[in-house]
Amino acid sequence: MRLTRAQRHLLDEGTHAQRKAMEILLTVGCLADAPRLVPITSAHVSGASYKMIGDPGLEFLEDFAQSARVSVPTTVNPLGTDLAQWQALGIPPEFAEKQARIARAYETMAVRPTFSCTPYLLGVRPASGEHVAWAESSAVCFANSVLGARTNREGGPAALAAAIVGATPEYGLHLDGGREPTVIVNVRTKPRGVDYSLIGLVAGERVGDGLPFFRGFRGTEEDLKWLGASLASSGACGMFHLEGVTPEARGARVKGLKSIAITRDDLIAAKRAHSDGTEADLIGLGSPQLSANELQTIARLIDRTPPRIPVWVFTSRIVRDANSEAVRLIERHGGRVLADTCLEVTLLEHRFGTVATPSGKGAYYLPSLCKQKVIFDDVATLLERYA
Amino acid sequence: MRLRARGIVPGRASGTAITSPAPFSFVGGVDLANGSILDDATGAAGERLEGRVFAFPTGKGSTVGSYVLYGLGKRGHGPAAIVNRRADAIVAVGATLAGIPMVDRVDVGGLLTGDRIVVDANRSSLELPDVKAQRVITAIVRNRGHILIVRRSQKVGTFRGRWSAISGHIEGREDPKHRAIVEVREETGLRAIVFRSAGEPVLARDGETMYIVHPFLFDAPSRRVRLDWENVEYRWIRPEELNHFETVPRLTDVVAAVLGPPA
Repeated sequence: MRLTRAQRHLLDEGTHAQRKAMEILLTVGCLADAPRLVPITSAHVSGASYKMIGDPGLEFLEDFAQSARVSVPTTVNPLGTDLAQWQALGIPPEFAEKQARIARAYETMAVRPTFSCTPYLLGVRPASGEHVAWAESSAVCFANSVLGARTNREGGPAALAAAIVGATPEYGLHLDGGREPTVIVNVRTKPRGVDYSLIGLVAGERVGDGLPFFRGFRGTEEDLKWLGASLASSGACGMFHLEGVTPEARGARVKGLKSIAITRDDLIAAKRAHSDGTEADLIGLGSPQLSANELQTIARLIDRTPPRIPVWVFTSRIVRDANSEAVRLIERHGGRVLADTCLEVTLLEHRFGTVATPSGKGAYYLPSLCKQKVIFDDVATLLERYA
Repeated sequence: MRLRARGIVPGRASGTAITSPAPFSFVGGVDLANGSILDDATGAAGERLEGRVFAFPTGKGSTVGSYVLYGLGKRGHGPAAIVNRRADAIVAVGATLAGIPMVDRVDVGGLLTGDRIVVDANRSSLELPDVKAQRVITAIVRNRGHILIVRRSQKVGTFRGRWSAISGHIEGREDPKHRAIVEVREETGLRAIVFRSAGEPVLARDGETMYIVHPFLFDAPSRRVRLDWENVEYRWIRPEELNHFETVPRLTDVVAAVLGPPA
């Protein structure tokens, strides 16, 4: 790989962490046959939940933090619990203590303690054509598809390395050619609510690591957040196009591509396939974390039909703090608004066995990551069912 | 002998090999406290990685594997080097963090637990000082979906009585494809064969000899075979029937190299 003089300097004479960061980028670049590193304007790292990375991850991050400092604005994924409410959630003290140490290690590295999977809702919105290095598959999908920014699906250590160096290997979705669609997906039903998650799940299963070009519907930014998160869960997709909506759909080469169709029957079948629970112990809302608008909508719904089982609502600390009225409303009806964490990376399996959720990503990962049975449906439907 | 590889993590190291036929996850696959292998699918459970050259086809499983490999290296329990058929980011990043030399694009099916191996990622090579290389061709001859296998006679030097495809030594700088055509004509009498494809070389071991097998696929217009002295019997079989026969090593993989994996 060709390196600039500054990059060569980091590799030869940088701090321990800078040298290691350069080595990681060279390794990742070597695997992908990348010719060089491309400068980035932001990074988003994953690997912050103690539940996910455990003692090996904690040990690495604490060692690394001794000399690692990020050189571009860097945000970080959700933790394994809400650092302010862990006691009320019945989280074991050892878990909370180790989780706090992970958070501190990231802060030592000058990572912004956002603990959020939705940096794009917190003011980190790279412009069209900007190169970034984001881990967190749902945020990657949003950045590429909705914002037109350019990032591969980075792994946690690779995104951290990119944050330290300020550059990432140039291949895949950083290149024009890597952003062309590989399959047309005609959606033959008008989606609403949970349908966006369902479209993502079905499409991801069918296109694998391809790049879908969707046709036949429209959606808000929030709708596309749910679609992308599901798509990136069941498939290895880092990007999609939606005709007439996403910025790079116009100009994408679709001529000659294979077409597949998604019908209402497919969505019904997918909902059934991802619902194996009978009676929920918990309603989990989030994954990705809710926007301010979504939090307010949920608060109104809960106020109208207060649920008789626990509701955990996941959002970022920033959105939680800025929406105290919605938080109060949800808490008045016994719900919890959790920050710093998210649905399937949070520790919940110590208390619950079946989770009801409208999140496609949640429905996809809860069985494996949290040993949960799932009831997967629209949020309004779920709240009415458990009113 | 020396094998070409692709350097992934720089460095040079040597050790005795542990080879796993199955993909490996460092999460759950190894005990972080002492570096002993836990995964039975490796065929090496209980062995310690420390100081060994660890060869497995590719990584699998959780991304936490990178951190486990880092922790193994920090404790001095990591392998001396890693050899893969296809490197994945989780193992490669972990090896980078731990400073463990790593190469890929090696057919690890030709490496045996106990082999002495020198891994040189800087020079993209693998040295097996105790093993001698022998380049051979294997020609898969096909007719209407069936492939030709032959049983080796008692007069040949190796693998007497085993089932094989048409094969032969490559002499000097000879073109392997040319050798394959010659061997098919000599051993089968089939004339109007049509070359279809060549596969990636497969490594097959017989003790201290490493056969570097160059696979070729030919279509034959008829099934009328006339054997020479090297073989005593022939059959036309469907590729998936191969496992009913006692064959030369890795014949299934050689067939897969030109026909794709069995259905």
